[in-house]
Amino acid sequence: MTSRRYAVLPAGRPAEFPPEALSRIDRILSRYPTKQAALLPVLWVAQETWGWISREAAEEVARILELSPAHVSGVLTFYTMYNLEPVGRHLLQFCTSISCHIAGAGGLLDHCRRRLGIDLGQTTSDGRFTMVEVECIAGCDRAPSMMIDDTYHEPMDPSRLDALLESLP
Amino acid sequence: MSTPAPPPAAEKKTLTIVFDGKPIEVPPGINLIEAAKLAGIEIPHFCFHPRLSVVGQCRMCLVEIEGIPKIQAACTTPIKDGLAVKTTTEKVRQSRAANMEFLLINHPLDCPICDQAGECKLQDNAFGYGEQRSRYDERKRQYAGYDRTMIGPHVVADMTRCIQCTRCIRFCEEIAGTGELTFLDRGGRTLVWTHDGKPLANDWSACAADVCPVGALTTKEFRFRRRVWELKKTPSVCPGCNIGCNISIENRDSVVYRFLPRLNPAVNDYWLCDYGRFLSESLNARDVSKATVRHASEVRDAVVPAAVERIASEIRSTIETEGPSAIFFLGSAHLSNEENFLLRKIADHVGCGNRDVVVDRSRVRRMKSKTEWIEGDHAGANYAGARDMGLSPGPGAHGLADVLEGKWTPQVVVAADASFAAAADDPEKVGRLRSARFLAVAARTENALTRAADVVLPAASLAQKEGSFTNVQGRVQWFQRAFLAPPPARAHWDLLLLLGVALGWGDRTWTPADIRGRIREEVEGYDEVTEEELAGGGLMRKGLFVSTGAV
Amino acid sequence: MTSEPVLLARVGRDRSQAIDTYLADGGYGALKKVLTGGWTPEAVTEEVKKSGLRGRGGAGFPTGVKWGFVPKDTKGKPVYLLCNADESEPGTFKDRLLMEEDPHQMLEGQILSAYALKCRTSYIYIRGEFFHGARVLQRAIDEAYEKGFLGENILGSRFSHDITVHRGAGAYICGEETGLIESLEGKRGQPRIKPPFPAVVGVFGAPTIVNNVETLCCVTHVVNRGADWFAKIGRNEKNTGPKLYCLSGHVNRPGVYEAPMGLQMKELLFGEDYGRGMKDGRKVKAVIPGGASAAMLTAKEIEDCPLDFDGLAAKKSMLGSAAIIVMNEDTCIVDAATNLAKFFSHESCGQCTPCREGTPWLHRVLSRIEGGDGRAEDVELLEKISNQMANGMTICVFSDAAIAPVLSSIEKFRDEYRYHVENKRCLVGPRAEAIPVTA
Repeated sequence: MTSRRYAVLPAGRPAEFPPEALSRIDRILSRYPTKQAALLPVLWVAQETWGWISREAAEEVARILELSPAHVSGVLTFYTMYNLEPVGRHLLQFCTSISCHIAGAGGLLDHCRRRLGIDLGQTTSDGRFTMVEVECIAGCDRAPSMMIDDTYHEPMDPSRLDALLESLP
Repeated sequence: MSTPAPPPAAEKKTLTIVFDGKPIEVPPGINLIEAAKLAGIEIPHFCFHPRLSVVGQCRMCLVEIEGIPKIQAACTTPIKDGLAVKTTTEKVRQSRAANMEFLLINHPLDCPICDQAGECKLQDNAFGYGEQRSRYDERKRQYAGYDRTMIGPHVVADMTRCIQCTRCIRFCEEIAGTGELTFLDRGGRTLVWTHDGKPLANDWSACAADVCPVGALTTKEFRFRRRVWELKKTPSVCPGCNIGCNISIENRDSVVYRFLPRLNPAVNDYWLCDYGRFLSESLNARDVSKATVRHASEVRDAVVPAAVERIASEIRSTIETEGPSAIFFLGSAHLSNEENFLLRKIADHVGCGNRDVVVDRSRVRRMKSKTEWIEGDHAGANYAGARDMGLSPGPGAHGLADVLEGKWTPQVVVAADASFAAAADDPEKVGRLRSARFLAVAARTENALTRAADVVLPAASLAQKEGSFTNVQGRVQWFQRAFLAPPPARAHWDLLLLLGVALGWGDRTWTPADIRGRIREEVEGYDEVTEEELAGGGLMRKGLFVSTGAV
Repeated sequence: MTSEPVLLARVGRDRSQAIDTYLADGGYGALKKVLTGGWTPEAVTEEVKKSGLRGRGGAGFPTGVKWGFVPKDTKGKPVYLLCNADESEPGTFKDRLLMEEDPHQMLEGQILSAYALKCRTSYIYIRGEFFHGARVLQRAIDEAYEKGFLGENILGSRFSHDITVHRGAGAYICGEETGLIESLEGKRGQPRIKPPFPAVVGVFGAPTIVNNVETLCCVTHVVNRGADWFAKIGRNEKNTGPKLYCLSGHVNRPGVYEAPMGLQMKELLFGEDYGRGMKDGRKVKAVIPGGASAAMLTAKEIEDCPLDFDGLAAKKSMLGSAAIIVMNEDTCIVDAATNLAKFFSHESCGQCTPCREGTPWLHRVLSRIEGGDGRAEDVELLEKISNQMANGMTICVFSDAAIAPVLSSIEKFRDEYRYHVENKRCLVGPRAEAIPVTA
């Protein structure tokens, strides 16, 4: 979230969707009157396929949807949830908006920094965890709220976090 | 007695807009900013461009519209009959000052090193509408790695200067149709860039630098060469192909620094292709500075009149021995109507039907006029004009094809332009021309043909003479002289007048305007191409022109 | 308070998301009534108009009136209904609850609204972070198709309808209706110039209505139990119906609470059925009544403060997304304002100059003050910057939202700002003790 999202990193090799992803894409295309409208859902398929969206994956999506690669890059970098570079096995997303902030999100973040030895936008050297901060994720009544991958974990506190990080593969 | 019903009110073809209390009639379908311009009022703006989609993003054009409490962007306000606009209120003044302040807080103070200085909308609007102080005292946002960097083969990016107006993005999307540029990221970190690995490389990429209102996109070829206010702007026509885009030759001290497009909605509108634009530097090249004459195997310098006399005497003696049909006059699609006309008149005067101009279809180019795409199909600006002036073989006479295919060998070849086509640097083709006993050319740069010639006359570049070209549409357009050729070099028409007079035809004192007068009298379809018409932007000559096949 | 919850009726129950649970409660009865009982689309719109239902997304525009902006002659273009499930306003979490716990309530409302609008295809634009909500919705949609409440010729009528769930990918500005439309079209979510308004030219160039999740849920109840019943709930005829309030911050029981529109702020914070007062016995310092975009209120201002559109407008704030964020006396207001400014500078789409440049500028100045490097002129500078960012300067009202916390916090806590600048530290809160005041 805090990193500058200018560059869509290359993977160094061409991207080809596996067959089941292609059928998902076909089904997605049938729900929209234009190919361009399917862009965000198809980018989600790409992220679910590779865990992140490389430059080559972006070009492949552009090719399938008949869009310019520049258009796809523009969309990829506008939205925060598409990973433009590989992330750790688990993406730790800490909310730091107002309700979580006044509930101690800052302290929770500091605790995680110390425990994992990394800062926001970075990944642990064993590849397990990447830490990012996110804006309000609608968990305000269970602040401080956070997500790990696609699951909410709220309210969170340092000891609960320690236990959770321990238990994750 | 009944009175007849009054006639219905005439259909109003214009709209009435009131600017600051003064009404003005404007045509429908224009933007409010353009309407203001018609009323003599400048509404400052950055993102609006008459040929690009309206986005209303820069927020510089905010005005007050009667009946609407909040300020409105002029560019997104549809014009309608009776609209009342206020551009001089305190609210408007404050909005402009506020907007300028916002634009300048992150803008680097690069003016001393920025090419855009002097033709920069940010400077102009800051000076005209901004406050003369800054209240910003924080770190300025910078785009490290996106400054002083090529974003394409011709365009340099200094993205820290960018004001995110999206003109460049819209140009590539809507005019060029190639869509290489996009916004990346968002908010205060929004950056204009390409998709990694797909640079800004369309045929008109430098137009993105033209439309950029600041120095974020500039051309490599012009970088750091000259301050723009030092440049003289000479209206001319691009020599790159027969579309004949209108250009401004930006020059100083007899050096051409760049071409810029010159607005002509009927031909190139606001645009210029990269190929034509970057021919500008080639106009500064000069290999041939004086006349030369070959004596046996030795090439000696000569004064121009003597060299011309050498050509004339060769022609005269050939007419006596073999007759005028042993001579070949070769014109050029790069030479003006006036010059090709003179060459043909000389050929007529000596009774020679062997005259020609070559068709060099090396590349087809496209250009967007205001309403359509124009295709240029000839590498020389004046193929149509050269043919119109009569440079085609007479009945039973020979053209260049016969010479190059070895079907006919002339005794004397007069090539009015040594750079008439790619063939002129092809040793095999030049060899065929060289099989003539005598070969005379006018030239500026050296090639196989000049090296083979017996007489070489020093000729002017496009910037060093005036004349007219007829483009692919049949439009006759006038180009003006930026500066004189360095003596003894002179315009081709000047050299041809010398030759004509030496052969007993023509008048040494004729100017190109005089020659155009004779063209009006003698050349079909050109009778209405007056000086006024040419000065006013050109005129279509009458009659349809049909392109002949390629060589 | 009404005797029983309307919107939260099934929340907390076992298998509350299942269609069987919904049907057993009489669910899809409104749809049956309309499609088999001879209601015209116009009749549905009339009912919604009569109910006084105002949009629950933030703007509070009368829903039936908005529907009426769709031209009678759409010139062959289809009409689109877009459910705005992009809930991203800080402090707001009611739509998440509604979708995760009772999706059919919303789906029925969406199908009814689509019928009223003569809309064949609708989309649910749900924020990317709601993975679970999207899954629950999709399952519910599949159930609805199975039971014939979606698809061709619903309940034997001539009305057919399809719903597609469309996931966003992390952008608050896609909650703005034209930002949502741009995003649905597969572009960056940059709001459009208005006019033209979406009801005339919206997604795919066609007439479009964007409605919030809670609004669509209300439609279900308006049709089910009648406009008159709906209109009787709430403080007055301009602020009708049941309302969900999102309470967060330094109260004992944060959560989603349902009450008739116009619940008193103090009741929400202190009531036994609601927030049950301030945590650890602290006192209220400031309350943001309607999400980050709403002007802050002081403890005094919440004394008599009905939580509805007009009640909060009278206090020069707004109900917005009904996100009530309570800050106690240990909260540094400058720190809170800085956090909010960071949010807005992160979420600005970047199209237009005043917002793109202004939101980071506000954040930078506030950060400086918060970090102990404030200058005397900074507070006035913040006000000046804010005042030149709004009121028509920008394409959309994101900018007007961004300045609300800045201007309201300065207006009401000017002394605290002054203290921060002069003493280079917070007046209250954890950092107040950290750096000793120089004598």
